[in-house]
Order: sequence, then C-alpha cells, then structure tokens
Amino acid sequence: MNNTSQFHPDDTMLLEFSAGTLATAPSICVSAHLHFCSKCRAQLLRLDQVGSQLMSEAEPLELEEGTFDKVMANLDSSQQIPVKVDSQQNNYPFSVTKLLKNNLVSQTWKRLSSSVDVARFETGQEDFEVALHKICAGGKTPKHDHHGLEYTVVLKGSFSDENAVYREGDFLIRQPGDVHQPMGAQNGECICLSALSAPIKLTNPLGFLMKPWLRINPM
Amino acid sequence: MGMLKTESKNLANPRINGDRVAVLKSTEKRSDQWSQLLISVGETHDRQAFAKLFQHFGPLLKGFAHASRNEGWFPGLGDDLVQEVMIKVWNKAAGYNAEKASATTWIYTVARNCRIDMLRRKSNTQHLPLENEDFWHEPDEETPISLLQQKRSEDKVQSSLAQLPKEQDEILRKVYLEGKSHAEASAELGLPLGTVKSRVRLALQKMQVIVSTEAQE
Repeated sequence: MNNTSQFHPDDTMLLEFSAGTLATAPSICVSAHLHFCSKCRAQLLRLDQVGSQLMSEAEPLELEEGTFDKVMANLDSSQQIPVKVDSQQNNYPFSVTKLLKNNLVSQTWKRLSSSVDVARFETGQEDFEVALHKICAGGKTPKHDHHGLEYTVVLKGSFSDENAVYREGDFLIRQPGDVHQPMGAQNGECICLSALSAPIKLTNPLGFLMKPWLRINPM
Repeated sequence: MGMLKTESKNLANPRINGDRVAVLKSTEKRSDQWSQLLISVGETHDRQAFAKLFQHFGPLLKGFAHASRNEGWFPGLGDDLVQEVMIKVWNKAAGYNAEKASATTWIYTVARNCRIDMLRRKSNTQHLPLENEDFWHEPDEETPISLLQQKRSEDKVQSSLAQLPKEQDEILRKVYLEGKSHAEASAELGLPLGTVKSRVRLALQKMQVIVSTEAQE
C-alpha cells in the first residue's frame, strides 16, 4: 500500500503492462507489485496518459447503425457501486486474492524442502508456473540456478540473499545463470509470489532430492 | 506556485482536508468537458451526459479496436468493443475518481482491458481464470500524483507527441494502438530489440513520462 519497495519492474515492463502487451504471468507479478508501490502506480498513470492520448488521436470510425440504441437500451438504471475490498483482512493484491479463491491447484501447501512450501496456481497459460512460496522463519532454501526467467514479488515478511534484503512489495527478476540462496527472515515466515519460466537447476550435489524445484508444472 | 514544490497531496490541494465529496464536485478540479460528463453519469445516472460521451468516444473506440489485428480479431470486433466498453463506463462511472485520472485516460484503460479480454476470449479455448481487468484493481488511496502534476504531464504528453521523430512515433503506435509487444514490433520493423526499446525510452523521455536512466533503481 505504501511506498517502501526498493526493487521495481523496469520502465519497459511497466510500459508493456500499460499497453496491455505483457504476458499473463509477468502481468500478475507486476500487478502484485503495484498493489504495494505508489511510485510505480504514479509512473503507470503517466504511461496510461500516453496510451489515452494516442487513442484519442486514433482515426475515428463510424459506428454501425443501431450500436448507440443497443447500448442505450442496455443501461441499467441501478448502477453498480464498486465494492471496497477490506484491505485490513487481506493485504494481498486483488489478482492474487482471486487466484487464491478460485485457482489453487491444491488446497494444501506442498512441501518442497524442510523450509519451503509451495502452492501452485492454475492461470490458463503454459509459459510460466505461477505459485506462492512460503519460506519459514530463518529457513534456508536450496542454493539454485535458473534455467529461465523467474519473477518474484514479496507479499508478506521478508527474505534475503547474498545481495540484499527483500521486503513486502519488492519485485525481482532472476535471469538464467543467476545462482542464489534465499533465506527467510528470522522474525517470521515469508510469502512470495513467483512466476517461473523454466525449471530451476540445483547446484547442491544432493539437489536431486529436491526434485520439485526441478520441475515446471504448468497446469 | 509554492504548491508545486510540495510532495504532500494535502498541501497541493488544501480543500482535500475538508469534504472530499465537495472537492470532487468542484468544477475547478477537473474542468475538461468529458470528465465533467463522466462525473454526471456517476453521480446522477445522467443519460444525456452519457449520450454525449458515447458520441465522442464511440468512434474513437472503434478506431482503437481496428488498430489491433492481433490473434482473435474479427470484423465485428469494433462495434462489439464499443458496446462492451460503453456499458462498462455506465456501470462503473460511480467509481470514477476525477482526482486520479481524466475521463479520457480512465476510458482508455477500460477499453484496453476490454480489447485484450475480447481478443483472448476469441483466440483461446481454455478457460482463463484472470481477466485483464483483474490486474488493474488499485488500492483505494489518495491520488498518487496531484491533479496539477497530472494536468502538466497530460499537456506535456499531448504537445510533445506531435513533435516526436517519425520512427519513435511509429513504435509507440505499434505498442499502444496495435497492441504489439516490443519483440513483435522488433520483428515487424526488422530492428534489433534493443533499438526498439531505446526508441521507446527516448520517446517517453521526451514526453517526460520517464526520467533519464539514472532514476532506474
């Protein structure tokens, strides 16, 4: 809600999000970040102004006869008043809340390792696996490499790796070749949204024991 | 002009401390006619105001629908989109916040989401759990940019768009109007992806939509 995020999607991603050309899985992550980051919301508004200016300069096309009447006949006299989501009860972004309600692959957390649980979402696309990861307080995740892109947004708590501490709202991209070993904060569990484009490769020699990390499992 | 220097929304607009509803109704807040009409639709179900919005935006929305020939496009998309968007405009007008965006920007975001969802529904047989609209639920908050700042940036966008070099203008139109990703634009124009990205960034910098690279964290 506030503006504490330190790590943001770059301008190109925000622009593609504004223009509606960003793929579904990264869009879920960008929308989750926007929920927390007023700086990026302000940036997005300026990008939307560009789109709206271009639209208002687009060549107007004459409508088919009857389109206007059809619309006027369909106006409900009772307008829909927007329902305010109770943000105190649930500080998750709208898109994540909706996925949690309707699109969990399983209703229970699946254990990935002694300190990491996963809950996968069905998102109607096959390019990314979209999931929540829960790292227990002080939990160490297996050191891993990435074969593909991984987007992560911290939804609750914090974790750290060799480079920095990541807090609520922070948006991270891991590229192939990035090796890291995230650790949950000592003071509580950490929940992250992630979109993973390809299997993660473990660098730990016993990595094969952590098989689920190796798998991409789009529904 | 002291108010320009402050970051605080409350100081930039002292009235906001008082009655928020009165602020929204105040004509000096956002005086362009489309925003005024949209406020009337939201507040009093004003069908005449809605009809005026329709006459103005309907043909533009159809033009916007026909600009994108992405997968899922079909000949009747234009008028279908106009109907879907305008009915949404009617239904959602009560939630329009003139402090946050002009009517044109607000209607653009509704149209963009509708266009994507309509194209996806046509081209995808799978059930899609999320609609594009779901990505655009912003927390209810005070406006992220003061109205004064917004108006200045709208004016800047409008005046500088016309002065962009042709190759920058072309790419912006591909991205926003034709709905092409940077990768698709690069393939179509036969340009490296990096060139596409830097042209877009240059255009956005000229319009002062983004600041130069050092602001990237």
